[in-house]
This record gives sequence, C-alpha cells and structure tokens, in this order.
Amino acid sequence: MRSVWKSFASVRLAIFLIILLALASVVGTLIPQGRSAEEYAARYGDLAGLFAKLQLTRLYRSSWFLMLLFLLAVNLTVCTVSRLGPRLRRAFGSVSARDASSVAAMRVKGKLRLAGPPGSAAAAVSRELAARRYAVRTADIEDGTVLLARKRRLGWFGSDAVHIGLLVILAGGIVSGLAGRRSHLPLLEGQTVDVPHAGFRIRLDRFETEYYPQGGVKAWKSTVSVLENGVPVRTEVVVVNRPLVHRGFHFYQSSYGWDWQSPSLEIVVGKRGDPSSARSVSLRTGERVAFDGPGITHLGVRRFVPDFVLGEGNRVQSRSGEPRNPAALVEAWQGDEHVFAGWIFAKFPDFGEGHGDSRSALTFVLKDFQASQTSVLEAAKDPGAGLIWLGCLFISAGLFLAFYWAPREIRAVVEPGPGSGTEAVFGGFAAKGRDAFRTEFEDICTSLRRAP
Amino acid sequence: MTESALFTTAFAFYVLSTVVYFGALFARRVTWGGKGLLLACAGFVFHTAALVVRTAASGHAPFTNMYESVSFFAWATVLAFAAVDRKFRLPHIGPYAMLIVVALVALASSPLMPKEMAPLVPALQSYWLWLHVSVTLIGEAFFALAFVASILYLAADTEEKKEKYDSVSYRAVAVGFPLFTLGGLVFGMIWAFRAWGRYWSWDPKEVWSLITWFIFALYLHTRIVMSWKGKRSAVIAIIGFLAALFTYFGVNYLLSSLHSYR
Repeated sequence: MRSVWKSFASVRLAIFLIILLALASVVGTLIPQGRSAEEYAARYGDLAGLFAKLQLTRLYRSSWFLMLLFLLAVNLTVCTVSRLGPRLRRAFGSVSARDASSVAAMRVKGKLRLAGPPGSAAAAVSRELAARRYAVRTADIEDGTVLLARKRRLGWFGSDAVHIGLLVILAGGIVSGLAGRRSHLPLLEGQTVDVPHAGFRIRLDRFETEYYPQGGVKAWKSTVSVLENGVPVRTEVVVVNRPLVHRGFHFYQSSYGWDWQSPSLEIVVGKRGDPSSARSVSLRTGERVAFDGPGITHLGVRRFVPDFVLGEGNRVQSRSGEPRNPAALVEAWQGDEHVFAGWIFAKFPDFGEGHGDSRSALTFVLKDFQASQTSVLEAAKDPGAGLIWLGCLFISAGLFLAFYWAPREIRAVVEPGPGSGTEAVFGGFAAKGRDAFRTEFEDICTSLRRAP
Repeated sequence: MTESALFTTAFAFYVLSTVVYFGALFARRVTWGGKGLLLACAGFVFHTAALVVRTAASGHAPFTNMYESVSFFAWATVLAFAAVDRKFRLPHIGPYAMLIVVALVALASSPLMPKEMAPLVPALQSYWLWLHVSVTLIGEAFFALAFVASILYLAADTEEKKEKYDSVSYRAVAVGFPLFTLGGLVFGMIWAFRAWGRYWSWDPKEVWSLITWFIFALYLHTRIVMSWKGKRSAVIAIIGFLAALFTYFGVNYLLSSLHSYR
C-alpha cells in the first residue's frame, strides 16, 4: 500500500503520463476523429480495422485515454495531499527552538550587534520585520529569543493551486460529459418547440441576416422568446457570441438553413423558338396547377433540391443545404396522361430547355425559388462549466503565486553576545528572486544596525 | 503615412537593427549593440503605429487573419526581447531575436499572406478576440525568446555564458507559460463557451495548444522538481517553441480546424 502511494506521489510518474498524453494527443490530430467507418476504410485501407480496435478514431473518448487522465488525476491528488502537510507547516507552522539551530545552515546570513538586553533587541528586530510586511513569530530559548518571520506565504501553494485547478477541471469535464444536455433546434419564424430536458419552450419570432455593404455576413440575429407554460416570459435577440441564458440553458446562434420541403417556385414556360410566348407559373413542390399549353393541361413540380448532385446509381441527392445548384423536377400532364418529367436548373437554364418534351415543344426555366429560412439554435445545458471556470481561476491564481509571489523567510536568534550587549544571527531564504531578497535582507540589517 | 508605409519602415528598421547587431557580434564592436537596440526600438515605434492605423481603419483588433497576426506576433517578440534585454543585457540575444522578428515580418509581407482588410465574421465579433489572441501571442513571443536563449545555450562555449542563457531561457518561460495558459487556454475556453457553447471540442488547434502546454509543463517539472538544467532543459524549450509554432501555423495550413483563419 505504502509503495503504491509512493509511486503515485512521484513526479516521474507525472512526467511519464504527461509525455504519453502529449503523444496520444498528437496522434489524435493526425487521424481525423469521429468520421464514418467508410471514410476510414477509404483512407487507411486495412489499417482502419486496427485503428477502430485501438479506439484511435475516437481517441479522446477512448477508454485508454480516459485511463491516462484518471491516472494523472490520482497522481495529482496524491502529490498535492502528500506535500500539503509539510507546506502548511512551512507557511503557517509555529516557531520552535529547532529553528534556532537551522539559522546557520541558511544560504543568506548576517550577524549583528544590537543595543540593549536581548528582550528589547528582539522586539526591535520584530518591529523592523513587521514593518516590511513579514509575519513574525517568536519563541523563547534559554536566555534569548528565536524569531521566524515570513511573507508571501501563499506563494508556497502556487503549484498546489494549479494542480487543484486541474483536478477541478477534470471533474468539470466528467460532469459535462455525464450531465451535459445539448440539442440542435432548427426553427422557422413563428415556430415554437419544446427544449429537450428543459421543461419550457422557445419560439423564434424573427430571424434576419445582416450583410456588410462590401458583402459578407455581418450578423445572424434571432429574436427568441422563452415560453413557460405557454406564456412568454422573456424575449431576447440571440447573436453569435451573445447567447440567451434561461434556467441553466444557453441558446446559441449555431447556424442557419432553409426549409426546402416546399419552397415556392417560379417557372417560366415558353414555346421552343418563340421567346414572346414565355409565361411565368408560380407553384410549390407537390402542387399541380392548370396550364393551358400546346399538348398539356397541367403542370407540377414533383421535387426540389437546393444542391443537385447525382449520387450512387444516378440517384438525385442534395449535396448540402445551401442553394448552390438548385434544381426542380418538372412534370406535365395532358388530362390524366403523364406527358413527361425532367430536371431543370436555376443556374443552367439552357440545360433545362433540352429536357422540354419534343411533343409539346415547350421549354422550362427555373426562374426563382423562395424557401423560408430557418435559424439553427443550439440549446445547451452544461452543469460542468462552473467547475471549469473555478478550475481556471485556481490555475491562473496558482501560476501567479508560483512564479511571482515567491515566499521569503527570515529566521533570527537574538542572544546575549560575548561581553556586554546583544548579538543577533540572521538567516534568510527566498524561493525565487534571490537577488531582490538579498537586497532586502541587507537593508534590514543596515537599518537595525543604525537603530539606537 | 499609410499602414503599409509604416509597416515597411518598421521592416527596414528591423533589418538595419539586425545588421548592426550582427556587425557588433562579428566585428566585436560592443557599442554597436546599443545602436542595434535603438534601431529595433525605432522599428517598434513605426510597427506600433502601423498596428494602430490598421485597427482604426478596420475597426477591429489587428489579428483576424494570418498577415495581421504574424505582424502582431513579430511586434510582441520585439516587446518581449526589449523586456528581457533590459534585464539581462546579453550581446547574443539581440541579433538572433531580431533575426526571428525579421523572418516573421518578411513572412507577413510576403504574397503568401493577403493583406486585405475584411470585415469581422460573426464568430470573431467579441472583445475576447482582443484578450485571447493578444495574450496568447505575447506568451508565445516569450517562448520565442526561450527558444533563442536555448539555441545559444547549446552553441555557447563557456560555462559562464551557458549559465546565463539557461537563466534567460527559464525566465522567458516563467513569463510565457502563465501568459500562454491564461490567453491560450483559459481565455480560449471562456470564448469558446460563449461563441460555440462548449469550452473544449478537441479541435486540432485546442489539442496542439494543450500539447504545447504539456511540453512547457514538462520543462518546469523536470527543472524545478528534478533539477534538470542546461542541455536537457534547452532541448525541451526548443521542442516547446516548435510545438507552439505548429499550433500557430501548422494547424491552420495542414489540419482542418475551427480555427482556420488565414
């Protein structure tokens, strides 16, 4: 048991774990994470199976990576706990006769002859050190006094604070992973949805996209209302970097899109070789409208895709939700007889003409399409976040203490000197900034020497 | 003066400073070192003006694409160098630190990095842009100095010089590490939480920042607890700076990341 404790208290283990974590992290950035099995098979061939088995494709959530983090957490805990006792004593412990014997071993030393009996001389030393913001403790020894003066005592705990901060962050990560709730909410203007796990609803009142005069998106603005039991309790404008917060749930402007289910379309129909005959028809997907033309009586649009692409087996798909290559499948009837069906493209009107039925000698052009825009909000509840900020606070404070709040310590033995008078022996220690400390130490000696 | 004229003037002063510094080194004219510093400071003044003019013209922080951020990184490196030089006054740090600055400014000036001012995309519209990027880059500028000092350590011939470079390297890390932690990781997490709703996504930029942080954590632990010094510390500091560079450039150009602002 003792040896297990000891090995977990070792810095060597910490170094070993840090190296392993760093190497694993590198691997995780070289292998793309969380893609589909097909993508890995295409990219790595036979290795893909091995990668999956070693969990390299979801490395940061793999059991072995989490194990490394767990071992690091144990290591940090044991290191911090086992060092805390001695550190607390060093920073806040009382003074004893033992401190008198240790003065001689200290790196910065000084010896002074002081006026008056040891009691009053010790009081003068005490006053001088206190004036320099040292916390002074004294203890009586045989016929003199031993002093222990310390300042910036929190500096002893800088690295502990950093380590505790890391533990708090790891705890926060666990809480986030287990209790975090997150959902994508695509919303049309006027639409109300239940927020999963929240017990209240939100409504998108308005969604607008602002553009810079020179082009480019300036802002996506969603006006969102929170509804408790059907009653709006608050309305706020959500933009990127400014989420709405309600009862622990954050609502982020995550992305935007269109509702391509039933866009309204404008199709221009004309006789081949006769531009003056062109007529415009407005309709929605799935709708069938009467159209009086040569050889046809009705027109319809069976399907619309915003980003036309032919997938496997020549099946029509949409590559994305962006209107990059909008296309509509136009149909025509004569009475009940289905005359033809063909794809027409907004960006390639000439291509659509070729699809026109030779019998009807008509041309079709997809002139315009309008779909309602959706604002995609991300609803997130992350109970671990508070711990993360607490951990960050510990780490920031700890780093400051560790690097810029180095503790200083002065010990002194004030005793009757040889002959008459009193002799004081000083020893000083500074964890860092030894030159500055030496200067202060000498200043203290000088002003004590001058004192009456 | 326009921003580009100011920037070019700064570049010219930096080049002059580097030349004079190396002159001081190879011609053994110690007094030239002071002139090198003076020229670097003159360049710094023009460079500062260039950044201010650009900020005023674009209306946002001067580090939203690679040109701007490399320029700012060079600026921060001069700042870090001046701070270290004031304290240590080592003749070799100046020339090599300025060499890095000149390389960075040359890179920023090159056609590889478009100089157009673009209005801010929604994700960058936050005061965290100022805090996150500036503090991180200033931290990394100190890593750059630790890198210079560590290389000089490895090349130094006397024990006395070695000890000084070792000390400069450690002091630079002692400033750079807290700044990098605060700006890169802490501010980064806070901003990510505000903008994306998650403080950590294991995005390659985040992971590489963490790797850099691990390496400098290693530097500090081996040094403070295991009393490593000198050669081994120097090697770790060099690897650490290279990791920081990869986080900065490599992730943007080689890996796909949420952070690919070019």
